[in-house]
Amino acid sequence: MAESGSGSADKSVQVKLVLLGEAAVGKSSVVLRFVNNEFQPNKEPTIGAAFLTQKCRLDDRVLRYEIWDTAGQERFHSLAPMYYRNAQAAVVVYDVTKASSLEKAKSWVKELQRQANPNIVIALAGNKVDLVQASSSSSGAGGSSESEDEADDATATPGEAPASPSEDNLRQVPREEAQAYAQEAGLLFFETSAKTGEGISEIFTEIAKKIPIEHILASSRGNSGRPGLAGNRAEGSQAQNLNLDQGAAKPKDACNC
Amino acid sequence: MATISTALRHFKEPTKEQLTEIFFSLPPSKAPTAGEEKSDGVTEPEKMEISAVLSVAEADEDSYPGKLYIMPPFLAFTSLDRKSVRLTIPLSTIRRVERLNARAGIYALSLLTWHGMKLVVQLTSLRPTADLFCSVLREALKVELQKGQMKQVKVFVKTCYSEVLVSDTPNAGADNEREDGSLVESSEQISYLGGLGLHFKFPGDPKKLRETSKIKMWTKYLKTHGRNITLLRYPQYTRLVQVGLPNRLRGEMWEVLSGSIYHRFAHPGYYQQLLEDNKGRTTTSTEDIEKDLHRSLPEYAGYQSEQGISSLRNVLQAYSFKNPELGYCQAMNILAAAILIYMSEEQAFWLLEVLCDRLLPGYYAPSMHGTMLDQRVFESLVQRTLPIIHEHFTNVDVQLSVASLPWFLSLYINSMPMVFAFRIVDCFFCMGPKVLFQVGLAILKINGEKLLQIQDDGGFLNLMRDYFASLGESAHPNSDDPRARAITNFQELLLVSFREFSGITDETIQGERRRYRSEIIHSIESFAKRSAVRNLKSFGRFSKEQVGYVYDALYKAMCLVPPPPDAVPPPTLFTTGEGNEPKPETRIELRTFRQFLSEIATWARDEKIVMNGFQQRIDREVADHEFIDRLFFFWDTSCRGALSFQACLIRTTDLVFGLDGIMFNDLMENIEWFFNLHDKNKDGYLTKDEVLTLSESLLFIFRFEVGDAYLGAVSRFMSNAFEYGDALLPRPETKEGEEPGSPPPVESNQPYLNLATFRMVVLADEVLESFFETDLSGSFKLVPLPEMELPISSSGLLGDLWSSIATDTNKKMFNMFTDEIGKTIGKHQVIHRPSIGRYTKMDEPKARESLLTPSMRKSTSKSSLKSTTAPTSPTTVSHPILEVNIPSATSSNKNLPGVPESASLSAMPMLKAAQHAAMMERTPFAIDNAEDDDESDDEDLSDLEDDDQVLDEVDAFLEAHDSGLSEADKQLANDLLKAEPVK
Repeated sequence: MAESGSGSADKSVQVKLVLLGEAAVGKSSVVLRFVNNEFQPNKEPTIGAAFLTQKCRLDDRVLRYEIWDTAGQERFHSLAPMYYRNAQAAVVVYDVTKASSLEKAKSWVKELQRQANPNIVIALAGNKVDLVQASSSSSGAGGSSESEDEADDATATPGEAPASPSEDNLRQVPREEAQAYAQEAGLLFFETSAKTGEGISEIFTEIAKKIPIEHILASSRGNSGRPGLAGNRAEGSQAQNLNLDQGAAKPKDACNC
Repeated sequence: MATISTALRHFKEPTKEQLTEIFFSLPPSKAPTAGEEKSDGVTEPEKMEISAVLSVAEADEDSYPGKLYIMPPFLAFTSLDRKSVRLTIPLSTIRRVERLNARAGIYALSLLTWHGMKLVVQLTSLRPTADLFCSVLREALKVELQKGQMKQVKVFVKTCYSEVLVSDTPNAGADNEREDGSLVESSEQISYLGGLGLHFKFPGDPKKLRETSKIKMWTKYLKTHGRNITLLRYPQYTRLVQVGLPNRLRGEMWEVLSGSIYHRFAHPGYYQQLLEDNKGRTTTSTEDIEKDLHRSLPEYAGYQSEQGISSLRNVLQAYSFKNPELGYCQAMNILAAAILIYMSEEQAFWLLEVLCDRLLPGYYAPSMHGTMLDQRVFESLVQRTLPIIHEHFTNVDVQLSVASLPWFLSLYINSMPMVFAFRIVDCFFCMGPKVLFQVGLAILKINGEKLLQIQDDGGFLNLMRDYFASLGESAHPNSDDPRARAITNFQELLLVSFREFSGITDETIQGERRRYRSEIIHSIESFAKRSAVRNLKSFGRFSKEQVGYVYDALYKAMCLVPPPPDAVPPPTLFTTGEGNEPKPETRIELRTFRQFLSEIATWARDEKIVMNGFQQRIDREVADHEFIDRLFFFWDTSCRGALSFQACLIRTTDLVFGLDGIMFNDLMENIEWFFNLHDKNKDGYLTKDEVLTLSESLLFIFRFEVGDAYLGAVSRFMSNAFEYGDALLPRPETKEGEEPGSPPPVESNQPYLNLATFRMVVLADEVLESFFETDLSGSFKLVPLPEMELPISSSGLLGDLWSSIATDTNKKMFNMFTDEIGKTIGKHQVIHRPSIGRYTKMDEPKARESLLTPSMRKSTSKSSLKSTTAPTSPTTVSHPILEVNIPSATSSNKNLPGVPESASLSAMPMLKAAQHAAMMERTPFAIDNAEDDDESDDEDLSDLEDDDQVLDEVDAFLEAHDSGLSEADKQLANDLLKAEPVK
């Protein structure tokens, strides 16, 4: 906390963030939207976890998110601790069109609260809201309700277009229910769409505000070698910074130490 | 996490024979782990091995001494170094065997194979052995001939590309009139099986890969050394593989190297049939597969087409049908996609089978234990060979697996550019799983300096990513020597892998796996337990610890009595519903439930205290009574014939809630619970039959109690119940039903006794009242179970020795052995341990307190342990078998001191009481005769003739080992000794 004056503008704070959630809720899509600001249909499969980085500016500070996008398949569950250990933030994703995915999300939250870093900031994200918005723009969106979002790309197979129920009752998780749960469990809460980009950057900004940055700085000060190394490795295309600072955000971080 | 798997417990170290099979890439001969459907296994075909020198006739090459094996239906040879030369051929490909006329004293055979390769094997063993070998070979060949396998060969080899390579005339000519197998595509040019690469091009630039010259070299090799199923691996072969297989031949070579070709050879048409049989079926696996189809090597053109996607789907689905237990695991899609570039669906299917089953054991299993084990092994190898890097990683808290996990899971295919990854895969199939470790170590070693700079997981991953991207670049770009400059990073990697880490052998890997297996199993199991407990909707009134004990008991029960596989319906049944169906989870059926209950409830087991002068142990058996079955179905309200740890929706069906409903009840609730348990139609009335059944249940619970207090209580209960019941009947037509055996004349299913009456009857009796007040709940005990032994213990010779000795069977044998001795010297006795153990004196039902304070119990039970071990140890310390047994005796005792509220008395004082009980065998009841059919009872009684003497000895022990019994206890013990038998 004492360091706030020391030219923090050029100093990026590294935040380890892990994405968890049931298979096919769109974890990877959320990350891609955030990192590349794109909705990439065919992406590399996630074996264990994919690793991406993205910088995010908040006021005068630059946060460098190290994002671990974990595999959703149940049998990879036991590997998850490897990825969420030492994480300062977690985004637990569920699919608003699938009630069971919220149950799984809850169990992730429970696990994180018991096993992970005690100061971890957890956000709950209900993804695929584009499918349940009444005035949903794209009629093709229904096609991606079952398979992951990437299904509706050029190479989508005919067999993959599921018979989609009418869009109104696609929603299985009411916003209020999830929100109430999030409040009770002390989580940040968002409804998002990786497809349209809705709510995505908000997740990461809000997390940034809530992260006890000073704490991280204090603990990582010893590691002198990091900034140099880290700086060189911005992944080619995603080098551009997303300015996530929404202006209104007054840094609350100080009080979270 | 919802399913509890005990599969890890069943691991067995491969036998020597199996290791040989694995070495020669043979399909498993016996299939203990299901999977392989077994054809008629009439008589076990004879196997044999013999020393021999092998040489290839008409080829100007070296001869190699080694070992020749007959493992029907295969013949195999390996050179002494197990590296240079290797041969595995189906016997059916042997056309002719001749004994060669040679100089005296030399015994040589010439073998002519299907492809015209002539092998000369000189049997260097003694003459009789060689003769025997020849006759075994003759028999084995005869069997193959009778099976008609020889005809298969002709059809089969046509599916192999190597045939095309070798035939000079471009695949035409005389062979045309043979009917093509259904597997063969009916195009004139392509009759062999091939992968997507034939249509969508193979990855990489064929010029750069020097395909033409590679093909030339291979053609030459294949002409003289056999091909496909008759291929002989000579030293040149390994070198050819290491420079990279030519694309067109790669699929077939992978098949040959991995041995999957023998599976395909043995099961023609199986793959198609499997797909046919399961057409249109959807399972959790098929759903998961569907999600990943479009993210499996999407950059390859073949997977941007329907043809590629559908092949991938077929292969993955077929495998998930073949092995539903494994099903589908992410990363298998990468493997399948990769191999499908080089081979047909059918070939890929069998290769995937060999990969999942043998080459990467347990990698893709639901618990992924193989993956975790090999990650641990890899870490240990890094620690050993690259200690500086390992230390740095530890210091900055970087976890090796974040990078290395995908290396192993996807055979580097997902990490490196494909052209390079496939060359590693070539070596992997050729030289075995150790290659994965060697390459991994080499990667770390080459990047050593940079690795010492990294500070966190992220930096590590980025470094690796950059390195893999640069594999095609020169390793020494600044060198003056053009030849050095021409060496790529990838070549350097292979060089370092196989030069510097040649010390990593299959044996190294096996040894390390053995070393860490139990650690991994333990961590997986405790992780599973944590998450199962965490995910319970509610603990009821239990503490977290207690729920853990319930889990342990359930787990143990599942290990001992695994639920039959068909009791777990295919996952589809659970997941297809509209989100309402519970997810697949652990369910147990009745038999497992009995075992489970016996862990928890004292009356659900028959415990016999056996003493034979050498040792004292408690034999525990699972009790079997209608009451237990009743409880099972009572808790199983959804009538699925299965109970779960906690069902998601139906709360009453689950064990935790079921137990919760009984362990925390007070007197009235317990009475009501017991009443409801026996009220089958839930109309609030017991019928007369049900009253009888209820009495039987009570008798069952009380079956081992000392004295007749409970018997009296039950019989009073019955007479009272019938009296009140009859009195309350609208038309009292009475006949006293005191004899439990005689059926009452009243209509048996007429409502008879309601809850209020039942309660009144129970409360009228002090014994029953106290039973329902505390003992019923108290008879369920949640205590830590003793650690179960893992199937394998520590590594090394001692560990092996230990695990081979300390088997259950041996323990049983030893127990029987000592029992026999005990009998002959008249010291053998068996006593049933009471379930409740409240009354230790015959006719003192009023004594409501347990006779010993908890602290006393502790001390006495300790002393009892001491006294059991004491007599054995002095004489037999050095004898391993005896040592084995002591822990078994103590471990079953172990839980006693841990039971603070235990109503049961601990070993020593109880022994005495119980001895009397056994002697005084209560009057037999017709009802529970069925339970007491242990013949041992009667036998043991006769052994008790001179039990006075034994008791004296016990006393002597107690005195000699100052047991810490208080005066009062001794008094009690003495009183018990003098107690009168019941009339």
